Amino acid sequence: MAHAETLPAHKSPTAAPLSATFNPYAWIVGSVFAVLALPLVATLGYALATRWGATLVPDGLTLAWFVELWTTPRFVAAFARSLAVAVGALALSLVLVMPVALLAHTRYPWLDRWMNTLILMPFAVPPVVSSVGLLKLYAGGPLPLVGTPWILIPTYFTIVLPFMYRAIANSLRAVDVQSLMDAAQLLGAGPLKAFFLVILPNLRGGVQIAIFLSFSFLVGEFVFANMLVGTRFETLQVYLNNMRGASGHFTSALVITLFAFTLILTWLGNRQAEHTITEATR
Amino acid sequence: MKAPLPAWLWLVPFAVIFTAFQLAPMAWVAISAFNVNGNWGLGHFQEIAQSAFFRQAIWKSLTISLVSSAIGLVIATLTCHALVRSGGRLRRAMIAFTNMTSNFAGVPLAFAFIILLGANGVLTLALQRLGIIEDVRLYSTGGLIVIYTWFQIPLGILLLFPAFAGLKAEWRDAASLLGAGRIAYWQRIGLPVLWPALAGTFTVLFANAMGAYATVYALVNTSYNLMTIRIANLVAGDLFLEPNLASALALILVMLLVLVTLVQQWLLRRSAQHGSR
Amino acid sequence: MMAATTPATQRAAPSTVPSTIPSSVQTTTPSAPGRQESGNAVSLRGLAKRFGETSVFADIDADIEHGEFITLLGPSGCGKSTLLRAIAGLTSLDAGSIHIGGDDITRLPPQRRGVGMVFQHYALFPNLKVADNVAFGLRMQKVPGDERARRVDEVLRLVEMQDQAHKFPHQLSGGQCQRVALARSLVVEPKVLLMDEPLSALDARIRRHLRDQIREIQKTLGLTTLFVTHDQEEAMLMSDRVFLMHQGRILQKDTAEVLYTRPRDENAAGFMGHYCLLDAVEAAPLLGFRSQAGRVALRPEALYLSVQGRPLGGERPARVGPGVSGRVRRHRLLGNIVRYDIDCDGTSLAVDTLNRSARSLLPAGCEVTIHVDLDEVQELDA
Repeated sequence: MAHAETLPAHKSPTAAPLSATFNPYAWIVGSVFAVLALPLVATLGYALATRWGATLVPDGLTLAWFVELWTTPRFVAAFARSLAVAVGALALSLVLVMPVALLAHTRYPWLDRWMNTLILMPFAVPPVVSSVGLLKLYAGGPLPLVGTPWILIPTYFTIVLPFMYRAIANSLRAVDVQSLMDAAQLLGAGPLKAFFLVILPNLRGGVQIAIFLSFSFLVGEFVFANMLVGTRFETLQVYLNNMRGASGHFTSALVITLFAFTLILTWLGNRQAEHTITEATR
Repeated sequence: MKAPLPAWLWLVPFAVIFTAFQLAPMAWVAISAFNVNGNWGLGHFQEIAQSAFFRQAIWKSLTISLVSSAIGLVIATLTCHALVRSGGRLRRAMIAFTNMTSNFAGVPLAFAFIILLGANGVLTLALQRLGIIEDVRLYSTGGLIVIYTWFQIPLGILLLFPAFAGLKAEWRDAASLLGAGRIAYWQRIGLPVLWPALAGTFTVLFANAMGAYATVYALVNTSYNLMTIRIANLVAGDLFLEPNLASALALILVMLLVLVTLVQQWLLRRSAQHGSR
Repeated sequence: MMAATTPATQRAAPSTVPSTIPSSVQTTTPSAPGRQESGNAVSLRGLAKRFGETSVFADIDADIEHGEFITLLGPSGCGKSTLLRAIAGLTSLDAGSIHIGGDDITRLPPQRRGVGMVFQHYALFPNLKVADNVAFGLRMQKVPGDERARRVDEVLRLVEMQDQAHKFPHQLSGGQCQRVALARSLVVEPKVLLMDEPLSALDARIRRHLRDQIREIQKTLGLTTLFVTHDQEEAMLMSDRVFLMHQGRILQKDTAEVLYTRPRDENAAGFMGHYCLLDAVEAAPLLGFRSQAGRVALRPEALYLSVQGRPLGGERPARVGPGVSGRVRRHRLLGNIVRYDIDCDGTSLAVDTLNRSARSLLPAGCEVTIHVDLDEVQELDA
């Protein structure tokens, strides 16, 4: 029946309802959706259940686990630490990457090719491998950073670098930064003034997307946080891992909270992306 | 008035931080792997090669990564094929959902699977009561392959979908008018066009699985023998720390990833040259 | 397969065909007289297609002779491309039947219809080189390797692409891609060639060149061709006959000359040329009588201007209407033609005159008298 799908004219009218009841493509998409949703649904159910023992459905619904989570000082502190580290890493990234991207798109075109190679490195080297070197280099000596949040900020900079550089570089290419700089300077603005008044506002959309996505990525980071710092500066993921002995309902509430948080961030990022696209096509 | 600073000075802070936290650790790993008690040598590699324990870690990492990447790729391929042929609304919803789940990895994923398929997991109990299954062993190789496959599927879909969306309906139309049925179309046009995307996606999935650490660590701590678990345990474990041996194992891991990438590149070049056959 | 079968009785192509034409293509020329007597190359009877509630086309009846070049002309969305795809078997029909070479192919899959198609965006297979793209159909027919190579080479020569045989599609320009696509559909010797706006994606200069080349190849091969376009000029220059489509119906099937000078109704007049459409009352002063038809269509070249009683331009036709005075609003230079927009008692008329010299141009506001060539007036049913 290789031609079944391309068989053209005069399909009998009775064939239509049959194909409506069984659409293999919708069936495939539906089952993959179900498989992917299963762990999330189970965790959500567990987080909202008073008790879920040997039954197919939970005994009763409650928000008590979320209340308990949000009134646990250790959790709130871990949340705050995660946010602080992520904000610090993103601020550092912006300050370091922005001038490089700008120069690569105005003065040194060769730099863009170099950067595109450099940003592949975090993909080629798993965090576990990097940690081996970082632990050795910064455990003692002149820069004893291991065990403090100060090692996480520059390390996180290296793992969000690919997103940040690509986002900024794409935005710069889209606004044709060289002509804008030329125009601003012909109108009497110095290079720095031209950058802050003309270039930066035009980059905002693209950079915001990268920031939202990087933020959710960093809040979910575990390997570096656990290996380089551990419980001495407990971030969210490390806290979650340390809570493995706690009630399953409590950890479920924690997992759902984390998921909802990254969801909001990616949603904000995507909304920004759509917004930027509609602006660009206007 | 002082002379303006040269523009390249703006590159210095970036270069310093990137070198210190990306290049230097990599360099240290590459160098210390050959440092045997202060001398240059291949002693660590010999030790790994002779140790059944390390060989098992490498073998299990490779097995779980290859199997989960292959299954993940097949499911992602089928899903993308179905998505291209589905309505716009279903397609958008599924892509958005895939985006969401691709962020769900590491420790939270491990916990979700414990709740779903652990010894007292929701699904485990349900299946036991229905008499379908007696025991689910989440902490076994099979269990890990299930979890790995779960996080490979969304990544695979996101990487493959653009390639599937790029398959033009006109190619199918043109092929059918030239006498090609469905099988001939896929064999001569569809799969050859998708082949670079499929090979590239497999490589990324494989690297993703080989480097995965958080999920297994949260699930079984250090009791399951994988390369990443062994590396971490050699530098941050409770007992004997052997950073140089960890470097050697880490270098082997990176070399395996490089090898797979090179094989993929070679296959792509070969198929580009012979693509017309 | 069926597409390749060649009637053994077929005679060789007429001697007027240049000797550069590949023999394999020549021998299967569908316009050979033996076939012509057996009926039409393509017959469409009562074709209809709906998408849900909306009708895409309906009541399509047409006959196409062997070797004819037919253009389906119409604005975008008129259903012409869907009709073409239905003939190819790529879209299902709700009613009607299609015969090609006397055989009912309505229920056949595209693979077995013996129809070739050229797409707007070429649809070349990106993973195959030019030669392998062209060879694809022959491979599907299991034509042996050496014959395949010979036929591919012949047809690539025909479209002047023999030097590009080892390039990939992405290394070619748009015009080259479309020539390869043409070769790919010619090599399997289809009974009918369908072309879906094949020139629309190309820039103007290449479009003109390829347009002439397609027509020349079609004529020498005597290949029955159905060509879809929204470009009136393309349709006029290429076709033996034009099928004018509007809102899913064929309005008129005629040669370009008839279609241009004798549009059947308002919609046809609206799409062809630059007709001014007037109702009978508006037209009465120009014609000198009250038309019985609801509407009157006037072409810009059927109107003549006089300034202060002095006729502008060349010879006057035998029968002209009484003069009507008007005022020049503006003019447009269309190469050797000057088109004036004339305000004439509230209605606007376009009038073409030959562009003799810059000095003779009439300025805006100039008072003129307009006469109409009564033999070129089209009276249309309302």
